[in-house]
Amino acid sequence: MKIRTWKRMAGQGFRSLFRNRVMSLASISAIAAALFVLGLVMAVVMNFNNIIAGLESKVEITIFLKTDTHSSDIKRMEQQIQSWEGISEWEYISKDEALETWREEWGDMAYLLDGYNSENNPLPDSFHIKVQKPEFVESVVEKASKFAAVEKVQYSKDVVDSIASIASTTRFFGMIIVVVLIIMAMIIIHNTIRISVYSRRREVNIMKYIGATDWYIRWPFLIEGMALGLIGAAISGGLTAGVYSLLLKRISSSPMQGNLLSQFQLLPLDSILYPIVGLFIMVGSAVGIAASLLSISKHLKV
Amino acid sequence: MIQFINVSKVYDNGLQALNNVNISVESGEFVFIVGASGAGKSTLVKLLLKEIEPTEGKIIVNDVDLSRMKRKEIPFYRRGIGVVFQDFRLLPTKTVYENVAFAMEIVEASRKEIRRQVPAVLGMVGLASKANAYPSQLSGGEQQRTALARALVNNPSILIADEPTGNLDAATAAEIMKIINMINHRGTTVIMATHARDIVNSMKKRVITFRKGIVVSDKEKGEYFCED
Repeated sequence: MKIRTWKRMAGQGFRSLFRNRVMSLASISAIAAALFVLGLVMAVVMNFNNIIAGLESKVEITIFLKTDTHSSDIKRMEQQIQSWEGISEWEYISKDEALETWREEWGDMAYLLDGYNSENNPLPDSFHIKVQKPEFVESVVEKASKFAAVEKVQYSKDVVDSIASIASTTRFFGMIIVVVLIIMAMIIIHNTIRISVYSRRREVNIMKYIGATDWYIRWPFLIEGMALGLIGAAISGGLTAGVYSLLLKRISSSPMQGNLLSQFQLLPLDSILYPIVGLFIMVGSAVGIAASLLSISKHLKV
Repeated sequence: MIQFINVSKVYDNGLQALNNVNISVESGEFVFIVGASGAGKSTLVKLLLKEIEPTEGKIIVNDVDLSRMKRKEIPFYRRGIGVVFQDFRLLPTKTVYENVAFAMEIVEASRKEIRRQVPAVLGMVGLASKANAYPSQLSGGEQQRTALARALVNNPSILIADEPTGNLDAATAAEIMKIINMINHRGTTVIMATHARDIVNSMKKRVITFRKGIVVSDKEKGEYFCED
């Protein structure tokens, strides 16, 4: 079709959009809500994946010892650890040192820890081991677990696994909500297009007699549906960006230091926004087009 | 040019609208289709526009068998046929000019062609001075002339008029008939379904009379007879 024809059809589509203002608004809100939830789920999952990737590249193992482990036992363990293959660095941190580090990390908030002293220190003694390559992690963990005095061996895989499971749960339930919202949006857009078809039925009837092709008649309605989806995408894109940058500000100013996750920054806005907005545009226009196609096939007799 | 061969039409509700109809219309002819309401006139018009399919028989227009026409070809077939109706069917939000230009936009005519052709056709039907009026500002006759202009603007070879004077007084109807006659003289085949006895009798054209879906008479320079 000629460019002039496309312009004409786009004009018709947008005029319909304004003519059915109320329904258009309902459609746009519905699709924006669905996409916004999709955006939040994506932002969370992307951040989890980023943390996982960061953790997997770490080659640190922490061995927590049982309370009241005798210093001679600790000496013996030190000697053994030195002999292990692939160790690049290791360090013994006593529970007193650990408490001190904790105090330093909390800075201004350290007064919260004033109740603890060497008598009632809840932290265990520990070894912090770095290996040269991730491949050495498994064997070090295996050997460390054999020490009688070991309470727990913590290494990235545990954290990775639990974060991955949180991420997949988030994705699963998030997607259910998104699918439900998208279905609702489709129903509303479907109805909007139906009303638009109804209000233009005379025109459509005349167009048929004059010899308009089926697609000449259908395109304006498809354009209308697509426009609803895209406007919804733009709104939810703006909302997602706003909420996420607010979150970034809050988190960067909060005192959650010392937490394992604090070593990982939230992804910057840019790196989550581009893929999310790209997805919004695709999903938004796809939902709009699909809903208007359904409506057209049911209500537009060409 | 237009041939109905053993055409019957039974609607889904069991109504037999046409029963074994055989008609042949030559290119350039002027034919009245007359009969009481329900005699089958509208069905004939719908069949010609390929809005509905015959239950039996064949319809051939310009050497094309309509039953073999693909769905995609229907719009292009309709572009060769101009139609006017009793109720005009103009778009109330468009001016006279825009209503006519609309028909050319649909067939993707260039802006230049539209600017040349629309005023010419409006002149032909005597509406040049009303180009910027809206349908609601026009008399019935003027509205039907707008509809005629729209039907003719793409130069169809056939004009189908379904009760074109049904909503008009006698004097206005006569004016419309003058225009339709003129169009016929320019070589367009005219098929006009009507109830209007006076018009049919004054025109001295071929008249095909239907009763209950059957062709009961088909006469050159015929008269309207119909016991309704």
